[in-house]
Amino acid sequence: MTGKTENKTPKVLLVGLDGIPCTLIGDYMEKGLLPEFKKILGDGFALHQMDASVPDVSSTSWTSFMTGVNPAEHGIYGFTDLKPGSLNIFVPNSRNVAAPAIWDIIGKTANGRTSTLHRDYSGAFKRPLRSIVLNIPQTFPALELNGILTAGFVCPDLRKGTYPEKAYDYLNSIGYLSDVDSAKAAERKDEFFSEIFLALEKRMHAYEHFLRNEEWDFFAGVITETDRLHHFFFDAAYDAKHADHEVFLRFYGELDRVVARLYELFMDMTDGRGLFLTMSDHGFTTLKEEVYVNAWLKKEGLLNLDGRKEYFEQIDAGTKAFAMDPARIYINIEGRYPGGSVANGEKEGVVNEIKERLMKLTNGEGRPVIREVRENRELYSGPLAGKGPDLVCLAHDGFDLKANLKKDEVFGKGHFNGMHTSYDAHCILPKGVEITKRLHIENLAGIILEHLKNGTAA
Amino acid sequence: MDHLSELENKSIFIIREAYYRFKDIAVLWSIGKDSTTLLWLCRKAFFGKIPFPVIHIDTSYKFPEIYAFRDEYAKKWNLDLIVGKNEEEIKKGMGPTKGAKLDCCNELKTNALKATIARHGFKALLLGIRRDEHGIRAKERVFSPRDENFKWNYEDQPAELWDQYKSTAEEDNHFRIHPILHMTELDIWKYVQRENIPMTELYFSKNGKRYRSIGCKPCCSPVESEAATVSDVIHELETSHTSERAGRAQDKEDAYTMQKLRSLGYM
Repeated sequence: MTGKTENKTPKVLLVGLDGIPCTLIGDYMEKGLLPEFKKILGDGFALHQMDASVPDVSSTSWTSFMTGVNPAEHGIYGFTDLKPGSLNIFVPNSRNVAAPAIWDIIGKTANGRTSTLHRDYSGAFKRPLRSIVLNIPQTFPALELNGILTAGFVCPDLRKGTYPEKAYDYLNSIGYLSDVDSAKAAERKDEFFSEIFLALEKRMHAYEHFLRNEEWDFFAGVITETDRLHHFFFDAAYDAKHADHEVFLRFYGELDRVVARLYELFMDMTDGRGLFLTMSDHGFTTLKEEVYVNAWLKKEGLLNLDGRKEYFEQIDAGTKAFAMDPARIYINIEGRYPGGSVANGEKEGVVNEIKERLMKLTNGEGRPVIREVRENRELYSGPLAGKGPDLVCLAHDGFDLKANLKKDEVFGKGHFNGMHTSYDAHCILPKGVEITKRLHIENLAGIILEHLKNGTAA
Repeated sequence: MDHLSELENKSIFIIREAYYRFKDIAVLWSIGKDSTTLLWLCRKAFFGKIPFPVIHIDTSYKFPEIYAFRDEYAKKWNLDLIVGKNEEEIKKGMGPTKGAKLDCCNELKTNALKATIARHGFKALLLGIRRDEHGIRAKERVFSPRDENFKWNYEDQPAELWDQYKSTAEEDNHFRIHPILHMTELDIWKYVQRENIPMTELYFSKNGKRYRSIGCKPCCSPVESEAATVSDVIHELETSHTSERAGRAQDKEDAYTMQKLRSLGYM
């Protein structure tokens, strides 16, 4: 199906569907709610459950997807991080991504960045290939590439988030929305729903425009609105009595048509021989309770805060550990942070103690919260492993771990009704692509590069 | 009709309609070139005297030239000026140089405006934003009726004024009206020239530098420029391609990012 060396049209079209769980696609297809997805699968495609990055946040997971390597090579561990040697928070952007993305590898714009994947493929392409990259998170500001890019979340400035300028002019002219206003979801949901439908429509408009009117070898278009819908309304996904169930399904109906449209256009363009795939950066499940990891650390006597300061600068004498979103735990090691109070030799003891205590954490009904606590060395390998958290917690479904510093109680519930899962991302791939073990989001770049390489080598 | 008169007519029409439609209305004035132009248009719309209040959100970190200009023209133009300030946070020491700068804009601008709107019960605000100004602003759009499928029929919008509003995340329950949304930075300067609208001297070159966009002093940096007069500025804009807000600090982007992250439950 994918064609190997005989393929004269090596193009790849990837549709990213932020936060769509594998199980939801399966269930909805079974119920007849995604007729177009079903047709695509009928054309020789398979639906795979896939592991997301850990932590399973969009910034980390999408970076793992686009670079094909783990955070210890690409350097993005979350939406926020601390500046080296300090407790000052910052928001890593595209310039902080240390590994080249798929489009840099095939377009020869790595510009000094390298990675294990890059080393494997840097010599594989005789000519630089052209990419269209639309709305992948963690790509702001837009860096120069051989092709077109408009950044996904977070994109505070569409002009700076788009390369080249001409592409910005086009997007601006159609009133393209880089994101919806999620703050509306709780208070004015009608407006929020309007916006997600509008944003989807604008994206389709832009994607089709670039698909048809530009030269490209690799095309990636991401839909973000599913993630936004899920954060606030995932409890409506299966509950037919839920007031917003119908809107939820209607959005999926629209999405089904959008994916089918892109699929059909692509198949026409490539005589059915290009590589088409859809994927998500993590799964979703219904959120029952929020769990504030820093509040727990405070209660356990492991974290002291000076309320007169802000964010992580509040971390005060005697602190052994603190958490950053969603549940990255950092040990307050001497020399690593100002005022660090855990000697290197004591680190392992503190790590073990936290692991042990976390595994015993239960909610008000006595239900265990934490599924697994994983250590840095089990998760990450590469030159930037030292930048990563010492521990990452994964919770049982329903418990959403957060690192809010302002909470005093360990458990709570806000207006969010959905939470990410690390094990239930999805990927739809042609059956011809051989999958020998459970898919991980870091594997997809290799599959794409292999297809492009085989196609262009011919 | 020439281009500038056409733009002017459109803006004045929107301003008059807005005033007619809402009693409790005010105009936001940052003392920058856009909102000062908006104020000028409001004066023209009502023959010299603006019949509603003018709000200045004061973070206490503005340039001294801004305060001087505000006070001078509030008097000259006989404005009903309301100064909105988040005194509580300013007293607590909130500021752009305080450890985490990320909350400064939110507290001293957004929350100060919110409180001012609530205190005075404004139902609508006139704002001097332009569509070509900034990526965040490009999202600031005209709003059109929704059909029963929650879809905006954006391709087939009737050309009427009330497509022009959009309420935003941070302030609830009031309409935002953008009478100069259709103007570009260059239009503004050409209009300033034609009308001889007074502008703060910050926009004009001193020792090889000028401000192209102004806000709080610690978060703005000047651009290299020899443009010392309005015509120099126009000439410079016609021949340069750098972004208008290039001189505005990173912090503004970061503040936006933090707000976005919070809206999704992070932080």
